[in-house]
Amino acid sequence: MSKEKDIRDDEIRVIGSDDGQRKKSQGWKWLVLLVAGIVIGIIVWQALPVKQEPIVEDIAEPGYFDHDSNIQEQPIQKTPLSHAEETGHGFVEIADTTINDIPLQIYIPHQMSFSLYVGAVDRNDPSILYAAQAADVRADNGGIVGAFVLKGEPLAWGLSKKGYCAIINDTVTIGVADNSPLFEEATEKQGYFFRQFPLVDNGQLVENELKGKSIRRAICDRGGEILIVETLTTESFHDFAQALVDLGIDNAIYMVGSNSYGWATDADGVRHPFGNPDPPKKKWKNISYLLMKEKP
Amino acid sequence: MLKKYLIISTATDLVRIAPERIVFISSDGNYCNLVQADNETRLLTFQLGQIETMIRDQLGTEGNLFIRIGRGLIINRNYIYYINIQSQKLILSDVARFTHTVSASKEALKQLKDLIEKEAIE
Repeated sequence: MSKEKDIRDDEIRVIGSDDGQRKKSQGWKWLVLLVAGIVIGIIVWQALPVKQEPIVEDIAEPGYFDHDSNIQEQPIQKTPLSHAEETGHGFVEIADTTINDIPLQIYIPHQMSFSLYVGAVDRNDPSILYAAQAADVRADNGGIVGAFVLKGEPLAWGLSKKGYCAIINDTVTIGVADNSPLFEEATEKQGYFFRQFPLVDNGQLVENELKGKSIRRAICDRGGEILIVETLTTESFHDFAQALVDLGIDNAIYMVGSNSYGWATDADGVRHPFGNPDPPKKKWKNISYLLMKEKP
Repeated sequence: MLKKYLIISTATDLVRIAPERIVFISSDGNYCNLVQADNETRLLTFQLGQIETMIRDQLGTEGNLFIRIGRGLIINRNYIYYINIQSQKLILSDVARFTHTVSASKEALKQLKDLIEKEAIE
Protein backbone atom coordinates (compact mmCIF):
# COMPACT_ATOMS: atom_id res chain seq x y z
CA MET A 1 0.00 0.00 0.00
CA SER A 2 1.86 3.04 -1.22
CA LYS A 3 1.61 6.22 0.79
CA GLU A 4 -0.16 9.27 -0.58
CA LYS A 5 1.82 12.40 -1.31
CA ASP A 6 1.61 15.12 1.29
CA ILE A 7 -1.05 17.71 0.73
CA ARG A 8 -1.21 21.29 1.95
CA ASP A 9 -4.29 22.86 3.44
CA ASP A 10 -4.68 25.09 0.40
CA GLU A 11 -4.73 22.17 -2.04
CA ILE A 12 -7.32 19.69 -3.21
CA ARG A 13 -6.84 16.32 -4.90
CA VAL A 14 -9.30 14.06 -6.69
CA ILE A 15 -8.68 10.56 -5.32
CA GLY A 16 -8.34 7.79 -7.90
CA SER A 17 -8.07 10.26 -10.76
CA ASP A 18 -6.47 9.33 -14.07
CA ASP A 19 -3.47 11.40 -13.10
CA GLY A 20 -2.59 8.90 -10.41
CA GLN A 21 -3.06 6.01 -12.85
CA ARG A 22 -0.82 7.60 -15.40
CA LYS A 23 1.91 8.06 -12.86
CA LYS A 24 1.65 4.40 -11.96
CA SER A 25 1.92 3.15 -15.54
CA GLN A 26 5.01 5.24 -16.19
CA GLY A 27 6.94 3.50 -13.41
CA TRP A 28 8.86 1.25 -15.85
CA LYS A 29 10.29 4.33 -17.58
CA TRP A 30 11.83 5.46 -14.33
CA LEU A 31 13.29 1.98 -13.82
CA VAL A 32 14.93 2.10 -17.26
CA LEU A 33 16.32 5.57 -16.54
CA LEU A 34 17.67 4.41 -13.18
CA VAL A 35 19.42 1.37 -14.68
CA ALA A 36 20.86 3.53 -17.49
CA GLY A 37 22.11 6.04 -14.91
CA ILE A 38 23.83 3.32 -12.88
CA VAL A 39 25.55 1.88 -16.00
CA ILE A 40 26.77 5.34 -17.10
CA GLY A 41 27.98 6.01 -13.57
CA ILE A 42 30.03 2.78 -13.48
CA ILE A 43 31.60 3.56 -16.91
CA VAL A 44 32.56 7.10 -15.85
CA TRP A 45 33.96 5.88 -12.53
CA GLN A 46 36.11 3.25 -14.23
CA ALA A 47 37.45 5.81 -16.70
CA LEU A 48 38.61 8.17 -13.98
CA PRO A 49 42.28 7.97 -12.85
CA VAL A 50 42.59 6.21 -9.51
CA LYS A 51 43.87 8.53 -6.81
CA GLN A 52 46.23 6.82 -4.37
CA GLU A 53 45.25 7.67 -0.85
CA PRO A 54 48.10 7.76 1.67
CA ILE A 55 47.86 4.88 4.08
CA VAL A 56 47.40 6.06 7.60
CA GLU A 57 47.73 3.47 10.29
CA ASP A 58 46.72 3.32 13.88
CA ILE A 59 43.73 5.58 13.57
CA ALA A 60 41.08 4.29 15.90
CA GLU A 61 37.91 3.89 13.92
CA PRO A 62 34.79 4.20 15.99
CA GLY A 63 33.07 0.86 16.41
CA TYR A 64 29.47 0.38 15.49
CA PHE A 65 28.43 0.72 19.09
CA ASP A 66 30.92 3.37 20.16
CA HIS A 67 29.46 6.68 21.15
CA ASP A 68 30.62 9.40 18.82
CA SER A 69 30.25 12.75 20.48
CA ASN A 70 30.37 14.49 17.10
CA ILE A 71 27.16 12.84 15.99
CA GLN A 72 24.17 14.79 17.20
CA GLU A 73 20.54 14.26 16.50
CA GLN A 74 19.32 16.85 14.09
CA PRO A 75 15.95 18.45 14.82
CA ILE A 76 13.23 17.58 12.32
CA GLN A 77 12.98 20.33 9.74
CA LYS A 78 9.46 21.62 9.32
CA THR A 79 8.17 22.69 5.95
CA PRO A 80 7.73 26.46 6.21
CA LEU A 81 4.16 27.68 6.03
CA SER A 82 5.28 30.57 3.85
CA HIS A 83 4.87 30.27 0.08
CA ALA A 84 5.56 33.88 -0.82
CA GLU A 85 8.66 35.02 -2.64
CA GLU A 86 10.79 37.70 -1.08
CA THR A 87 10.23 41.08 -2.69
CA GLY A 88 13.09 42.95 -1.06
CA HIS A 89 10.51 44.90 0.93
CA GLY A 90 8.78 44.27 4.20
CA PHE A 91 5.31 42.74 4.00
CA VAL A 92 3.02 40.30 5.73
CA GLU A 93 2.00 37.15 3.89
CA ILE A 94 -1.56 36.25 4.84
CA ALA A 95 -2.50 32.59 4.61
CA ASP A 96 -5.49 30.73 5.88
CA THR A 97 -6.05 27.18 6.89
CA THR A 98 -8.41 25.07 8.94
CA ILE A 99 -7.29 22.92 11.82
CA ASN A 100 -9.79 20.78 13.73
CA ASP A 101 -12.59 22.72 12.03
CA ILE A 102 -11.19 26.01 13.35
CA PRO A 103 -10.59 28.50 10.53
CA LEU A 104 -7.26 30.20 11.13
CA GLN A 105 -5.63 33.25 9.59
CA ILE A 106 -1.85 33.11 9.58
CA TYR A 107 0.27 36.24 9.29
CA ILE A 108 3.81 35.51 8.14
CA PRO A 109 6.18 38.48 8.29
CA HIS A 110 8.84 38.98 5.62
CA GLN A 111 11.78 41.38 5.98
CA MET A 112 10.29 42.78 9.16
CA SER A 113 11.60 44.25 12.32
CA PHE A 114 9.50 43.73 15.47
CA SER A 115 8.92 46.15 18.33
CA LEU A 116 6.45 46.97 21.07
CA TYR A 117 4.59 50.23 21.47
CA VAL A 118 2.66 51.63 24.41
CA GLY A 119 -0.30 53.96 23.89
CA ALA A 120 -2.73 54.55 21.06
CA VAL A 121 -1.03 53.47 17.85
CA ASP A 122 -1.04 55.87 14.90
CA ARG A 123 -3.36 54.24 12.39
CA ASN A 124 -2.19 56.59 9.64
CA ASP A 125 1.48 55.66 9.96
CA PRO A 126 2.27 53.86 6.67
CA SER A 127 5.52 52.47 8.07
CA ILE A 128 3.58 50.19 10.46
CA LEU A 129 2.96 47.09 8.40
CA TYR A 130 1.45 45.03 11.19
CA ALA A 131 -0.17 46.06 14.47
CA ALA A 132 -2.00 44.05 17.11
CA GLN A 133 -2.41 44.37 20.86
CA ALA A 134 0.14 42.48 22.92
CA ALA A 135 0.08 42.53 26.73
CA ASP A 136 -2.87 42.77 29.10
CA VAL A 137 -3.84 45.91 30.97
CA ARG A 138 -5.14 45.72 34.53
CA ALA A 139 -8.78 46.74 34.80
CA ASP A 140 -8.33 48.30 38.27
CA ASN A 141 -5.39 50.63 37.79
CA GLY A 142 -4.62 50.44 34.08
CA GLY A 143 -1.14 49.05 34.68
CA ILE A 144 0.51 46.54 32.36
CA VAL A 145 0.09 42.95 33.52
CA GLY A 146 3.38 41.11 33.91
CA ALA A 147 6.93 42.13 33.17
CA PHE A 148 7.24 44.56 30.29
CA VAL A 149 10.28 46.21 28.70
CA LEU A 150 9.95 48.97 26.13
CA LYS A 151 13.12 49.73 24.18
CA GLY A 152 15.31 48.85 27.15
CA GLU A 153 13.12 50.56 29.72
CA PRO A 154 11.31 48.29 32.19
CA LEU A 155 7.73 49.54 32.60
CA ALA A 156 6.32 46.68 34.64
CA TRP A 157 7.54 43.77 36.73
CA GLY A 158 5.82 40.69 37.97
CA LEU A 159 4.91 37.18 37.00
CA SER A 160 1.22 36.79 36.54
CA LYS A 161 1.69 34.92 33.29
CA LYS A 162 4.47 32.49 32.50
CA GLY A 163 4.65 32.95 28.75
CA TYR A 164 7.05 35.54 27.42
CA CYS A 165 8.12 37.15 24.18
CA ALA A 166 11.47 38.89 23.94
CA ILE A 167 12.60 41.00 21.01
CA ILE A 168 16.31 41.64 21.21
CA ASN A 169 18.38 42.80 18.24
CA ASP A 170 15.52 41.87 15.90
CA THR A 171 15.45 38.32 17.20
CA VAL A 172 12.10 37.19 18.56
CA THR A 173 12.14 34.55 21.29
CA ILE A 174 8.95 32.99 22.61
CA GLY A 175 8.97 30.73 25.63
CA VAL A 176 7.61 29.72 29.00
CA ALA A 177 9.55 30.31 32.21
CA ASP A 178 9.10 31.76 35.69
CA ASN A 179 12.26 33.75 35.29
CA SER A 180 13.88 34.56 32.01
CA PRO A 181 17.30 36.17 31.62
CA LEU A 182 15.90 37.72 28.46
CA PHE A 183 14.11 40.29 30.62
CA GLU A 184 17.46 41.65 31.83
CA GLU A 185 19.00 41.27 28.39
CA ALA A 186 16.16 43.30 26.89
CA THR A 187 16.87 46.09 29.37
CA GLU A 188 20.58 45.99 28.53
CA LYS A 189 20.23 45.86 24.75
CA GLN A 190 17.39 48.33 24.12
CA GLY A 191 15.10 45.38 23.53
CA TYR A 192 11.47 44.56 24.24
CA PHE A 193 9.82 42.02 26.50
CA PHE A 194 6.26 41.19 27.48
CA ARG A 195 4.44 38.39 29.26
CA GLN A 196 1.25 36.60 28.30
CA PHE A 197 -0.56 33.32 28.77
CA PRO A 198 1.48 30.44 27.36
CA LEU A 199 -0.36 28.27 24.83
CA VAL A 200 2.31 25.94 23.48
CA ASP A 201 5.58 25.03 25.16
CA ASN A 202 8.06 22.99 23.09
CA GLY A 203 5.27 21.50 21.01
CA GLN A 204 3.13 20.63 24.04
CA LEU A 205 -0.24 22.18 24.77
CA VAL A 206 -0.30 24.36 27.89
CA GLU A 207 -3.60 24.26 29.74
CA ASN A 208 -5.00 27.56 30.97
CA GLU A 209 -7.81 27.80 33.45
CA LEU A 210 -9.50 30.67 31.65
CA LYS A 211 -12.92 29.76 30.32
CA GLY A 212 -15.08 31.28 27.65
CA LYS A 213 -14.71 31.72 23.93
CA SER A 214 -13.30 34.61 21.99
CA ILE A 215 -11.37 35.43 18.83
CA ARG A 216 -7.90 34.17 19.74
CA ARG A 217 -4.54 35.45 18.58
CA ALA A 218 -1.04 34.24 19.34
CA ILE A 219 2.54 34.95 18.44
CA CYS A 220 4.16 31.67 17.55
CA ASP A 221 7.48 30.08 16.73
CA ARG A 222 7.29 27.23 14.25
CA GLY A 223 10.71 25.80 13.54
CA GLY A 224 12.23 29.26 13.81
CA GLU A 225 9.54 30.88 11.66
CA ILE A 226 7.77 33.60 13.65
CA LEU A 227 4.07 33.87 12.88
CA ILE A 228 0.92 35.41 14.20
CA VAL A 229 -2.04 33.04 14.15
CA GLU A 230 -5.59 34.12 14.83
CA THR A 231 -8.92 32.36 14.78
CA LEU A 232 -11.76 33.57 12.58
CA THR A 233 -14.29 32.09 14.98
CA THR A 234 -14.61 32.39 18.74
CA GLU A 235 -12.70 29.59 20.40
CA SER A 236 -11.71 28.41 23.86
CA PHE A 237 -8.11 28.64 25.01
CA HIS A 238 -7.82 24.87 24.93
CA ASP A 239 -9.14 24.42 21.39
CA PHE A 240 -6.97 27.26 20.12
CA ALA A 241 -3.86 25.85 21.78
CA GLN A 242 -4.65 22.38 20.38
CA ALA A 243 -5.01 23.85 16.88
CA LEU A 244 -1.60 25.53 17.27
CA VAL A 245 -0.04 22.23 18.35
CA ASP A 246 -1.61 20.49 15.35
CA LEU A 247 -0.28 23.27 13.11
CA GLY A 248 3.21 22.28 14.27
CA ILE A 249 3.85 25.30 16.45
CA ASP A 250 6.75 24.84 18.86
CA ASN A 251 6.10 27.79 21.19
CA ALA A 252 3.22 30.21 21.38
CA ILE A 253 1.90 32.81 23.73
CA TYR A 254 -1.42 34.57 23.66
CA MET A 255 -1.93 38.12 22.45
CA VAL A 256 -4.67 40.10 24.10
CA GLY A 257 -7.23 42.09 22.22
CA SER A 258 -9.60 39.57 20.72
CA ASN A 259 -11.71 41.97 18.72
CA SER A 260 -9.39 44.96 19.05
CA TYR A 261 -8.35 46.80 15.93
CA GLY A 262 -5.18 45.93 14.06
CA TRP A 263 -3.93 45.42 10.54
CA ALA A 264 -1.49 43.62 8.28
CA THR A 265 -0.06 44.96 5.03
CA ASP A 266 0.48 42.48 2.21
CA ALA A 267 3.12 42.33 -0.55
CA ASP A 268 1.06 44.65 -2.74
CA GLY A 269 0.94 47.27 -0.01
CA VAL A 270 -2.74 46.61 0.69
CA ARG A 271 -3.67 47.00 4.33
CA HIS A 272 -5.94 44.26 5.72
CA PRO A 273 -7.61 45.47 8.89
CA PHE A 274 -9.02 43.16 11.53
CA GLY A 275 -11.06 43.68 14.68
CA ASN A 276 -13.40 46.50 15.53
CA PRO A 277 -12.25 49.83 14.04
CA ASP A 278 -14.14 51.86 16.64
CA PRO A 279 -11.83 53.41 19.23
CA PRO A 280 -11.95 51.55 22.57
CA LYS A 281 -14.52 52.94 25.01
CA LYS A 282 -11.98 53.16 27.79
CA LYS A 283 -8.69 54.75 26.76
CA TRP A 284 -5.97 52.83 28.55
CA LYS A 285 -2.74 54.76 28.50
CA ASN A 286 -0.81 51.53 28.93
CA ILE A 287 -2.38 49.68 26.04
CA SER A 288 0.45 47.91 24.22
CA TYR A 289 0.93 46.83 20.64
CA LEU A 290 3.18 44.48 18.78
CA LEU A 291 4.33 46.35 15.69
CA MET A 292 6.16 45.25 12.59
CA LYS A 293 8.01 47.60 10.29
CA GLU A 294 10.19 47.01 7.27
CA LYS A 295 13.73 46.10 8.22
CA PRO A 296 15.99 49.08 7.57
CA MET B 1 -19.86 -6.64 -12.13
CA LEU B 2 -19.75 -6.80 -8.35
CA LYS B 3 -20.56 -3.63 -6.51
CA LYS B 4 -17.48 -2.11 -4.89
CA TYR B 5 -17.33 -1.47 -1.19
CA LEU B 6 -14.72 0.31 0.83
CA ILE B 7 -13.38 -2.06 3.45
CA ILE B 8 -11.53 -0.63 6.42
CA SER B 9 -10.13 -3.43 8.51
CA THR B 10 -8.11 -3.51 11.71
CA ALA B 11 -6.91 -6.45 13.81
CA THR B 12 -10.17 -6.48 15.72
CA ASP B 13 -12.91 -5.08 13.52
CA LEU B 14 -13.96 -4.31 9.98
CA VAL B 15 -16.08 -1.63 8.35
CA ARG B 16 -17.63 -2.37 4.95
CA ILE B 17 -19.44 0.55 3.40
CA ALA B 18 -20.69 1.47 -0.03
CA PRO B 19 -18.76 4.56 -1.24
CA GLU B 20 -21.92 6.53 -1.96
CA ARG B 21 -22.93 6.13 1.68
CA ILE B 22 -19.89 8.08 2.85
CA VAL B 23 -20.56 11.80 3.16
CA PHE B 24 -17.12 12.86 4.35
CA ILE B 25 -14.18 11.75 6.43
CA SER B 26 -12.46 14.25 8.68
CA SER B 27 -9.13 14.01 10.41
CA ASP B 28 -9.11 13.89 14.20
CA GLY B 29 -5.50 13.80 15.30
CA ASN B 30 -4.17 10.35 14.45
CA TYR B 31 -7.70 9.07 13.85
CA CYS B 32 -10.55 9.91 11.49
CA ASN B 33 -14.28 10.35 11.76
CA LEU B 34 -16.31 8.83 8.96
CA VAL B 35 -19.68 10.54 8.59
CA GLN B 36 -22.26 8.32 6.93
CA ALA B 37 -25.37 9.16 4.94
CA ASP B 38 -27.52 7.78 7.79
CA ASN B 39 -26.09 10.55 10.02
CA GLU B 40 -23.99 8.06 11.99
CA THR B 41 -20.35 8.87 12.66
CA ARG B 42 -17.74 6.16 13.01
CA LEU B 43 -14.29 6.65 14.47
CA LEU B 44 -11.60 5.01 12.37
CA THR B 45 -8.22 4.27 13.90
CA PHE B 46 -6.37 5.34 10.77
CA GLN B 47 -4.87 8.59 9.62
CA LEU B 48 -6.60 10.41 6.78
CA GLY B 49 -3.71 9.73 4.38
CA GLN B 50 -4.09 5.99 5.02
CA ILE B 51 -7.82 6.17 4.31
CA GLU B 52 -7.07 8.03 1.07
CA THR B 53 -4.71 5.25 0.05
CA MET B 54 -7.36 2.61 0.84
CA ILE B 55 -9.90 4.47 -1.31
CA ARG B 56 -7.46 4.70 -4.20
CA ASP B 57 -6.31 1.07 -3.94
CA GLN B 58 -9.73 -0.49 -3.42
CA LEU B 59 -11.94 1.67 -5.58
CA GLY B 60 -9.49 2.56 -8.36
CA THR B 61 -10.90 5.16 -10.72
CA GLU B 62 -14.24 4.96 -8.91
CA GLY B 63 -12.38 6.56 -6.04
CA ASN B 64 -12.70 9.84 -7.91
CA LEU B 65 -16.04 10.10 -6.17
CA PHE B 66 -13.91 11.46 -3.34
CA ILE B 67 -11.88 14.63 -3.14
CA ARG B 68 -9.17 15.25 -0.60
CA ILE B 69 -9.36 18.82 0.69
CA GLY B 70 -6.28 19.95 2.55
CA ARG B 71 -4.88 17.85 5.33
CA GLY B 72 -8.09 17.44 7.23
CA LEU B 73 -10.89 16.34 4.92
CA ILE B 74 -12.03 13.83 2.31
CA ILE B 75 -15.45 14.58 0.89
CA ASN B 76 -17.90 12.77 -1.35
CA ARG B 77 -18.31 15.07 -4.34
CA ASN B 78 -21.93 13.96 -4.85
CA TYR B 79 -22.92 15.77 -1.68
CA ILE B 80 -21.34 19.14 -2.39
CA TYR B 81 -24.26 21.48 -1.96
CA TYR B 82 -22.86 24.90 -1.07
CA ILE B 83 -19.44 26.55 -1.15
CA ASN B 84 -18.72 29.94 0.35
CA ILE B 85 -15.08 30.91 -0.08
CA GLN B 86 -15.20 34.03 2.04
CA SER B 87 -16.63 32.33 5.10
CA GLN B 88 -14.59 29.17 4.40
CA LYS B 89 -17.79 27.16 4.50
CA LEU B 90 -18.65 23.97 2.65
CA ILE B 91 -22.05 22.37 3.10
CA LEU B 92 -22.44 18.70 2.25
CA SER B 93 -26.02 17.65 1.89
CA ASP B 94 -28.35 15.33 -0.01
CA VAL B 95 -30.96 18.07 0.41
CA ALA B 96 -33.25 15.56 2.05
CA ARG B 97 -32.00 13.78 5.14
CA PHE B 98 -28.69 15.33 6.15
CA THR B 99 -26.73 18.56 6.05
CA HIS B 100 -23.18 18.86 7.35
CA THR B 101 -21.15 22.05 7.43
CA VAL B 102 -17.40 21.76 7.31
CA SER B 103 -14.71 24.36 6.80
CA ALA B 104 -11.59 24.45 4.66
CA SER B 105 -9.08 27.04 3.54
CA LYS B 106 -10.19 29.71 1.09
CA GLU B 107 -7.71 28.58 -1.54
CA ALA B 108 -8.84 24.96 -1.31
CA LEU B 109 -12.50 25.98 -1.59
CA LYS B 110 -11.69 28.18 -4.55
CA GLN B 111 -10.02 25.23 -6.27
CA LEU B 112 -13.00 23.02 -5.44
CA LYS B 113 -15.41 25.59 -6.85
CA ASP B 114 -13.33 25.85 -10.04
CA LEU B 115 -13.26 22.06 -10.36
CA ILE B 116 -17.03 21.74 -10.01
CA GLU B 117 -17.60 24.57 -12.50
CA LYS B 118 -15.15 23.05 -14.97
CA GLU B 119 -16.75 19.61 -14.71
CA ALA B 120 -20.19 21.11 -15.27
CA ILE B 121 -19.05 22.52 -18.61
CA GLU B 122 -17.27 19.34 -19.81
